[in-house]
Amino acid sequence: MNEHRRQILQMLSEGKISADEAERLISAMEEPPATKSAEPDSTSAGKTRPKYLRVQVDSEDDGGHEGPTKVNVRVPMQLLRAGVKLAGLIPTPALNRANQAIHEKGIALDLTQIKAENLEELVEHLNDLAVDVDQKDAGNKVKVRVFCE
Amino acid sequence: MIPFIAVVSLRKRDSRTFRLWIPLLLIWLFLLPLGILLSPVIFIVSLACRVNPFRGVGLTWQVLSALTDTSIEVEHRCAGMSFHFL
Repeated sequence: MNEHRRQILQMLSEGKISADEAERLISAMEEPPATKSAEPDSTSAGKTRPKYLRVQVDSEDDGGHEGPTKVNVRVPMQLLRAGVKLAGLIPTPALNRANQAIHEKGIALDLTQIKAENLEELVEHLNDLAVDVDQKDAGNKVKVRVFCE
Repeated sequence: MIPFIAVVSLRKRDSRTFRLWIPLLLIWLFLLPLGILLSPVIFIVSLACRVNPFRGVGLTWQVLSALTDTSIEVEHRCAGMSFHFL
């Protein structure tokens, strides 16, 4: 860094560049570290790693027969990580059978594609996950929220 | 750290909440010698299933450790139930 600055000052003293150009060069040289140092701060302050996956279900029964039902589930992300790793130990024939059973239920999910290698990426993307579902039918209002905190 | 206490709360219509503190530590202490006794069987079954037994035990420990802070709450007009691992 000091070497570059010295070279710029030398070019200035030799008259190869003007004072304005020297100033611009020095400021351009100082910019990248400043932006680099700002990036981790913004990510750490604005985007902290989520600790829990929350699932909230609010069901309001407008008919008044059943009454409202509330479900609140909090699962640590660490449990998700450990669970996916543990699922990696399931033998392939068992996974294939589970896949077949899932497909028969009409769910497009391939358990063989859930691998421990992709786990961190999955957890990182869960940070941005927020699912809100509002459903209203036959006097029954259901609200489902899935998010990370 | 694995959870040492599980708290189960049950509530029925028009009755007070029944809260049960389950000392998981005692269950772990009971399961530990059982696990040691069964370790040869676990080892053989793991090898038969082509699973690394040490990796299996390690991951089971990770799952148990990660259970801490897990909570499930279900509330209804007639009844309610909650489950917390501490």
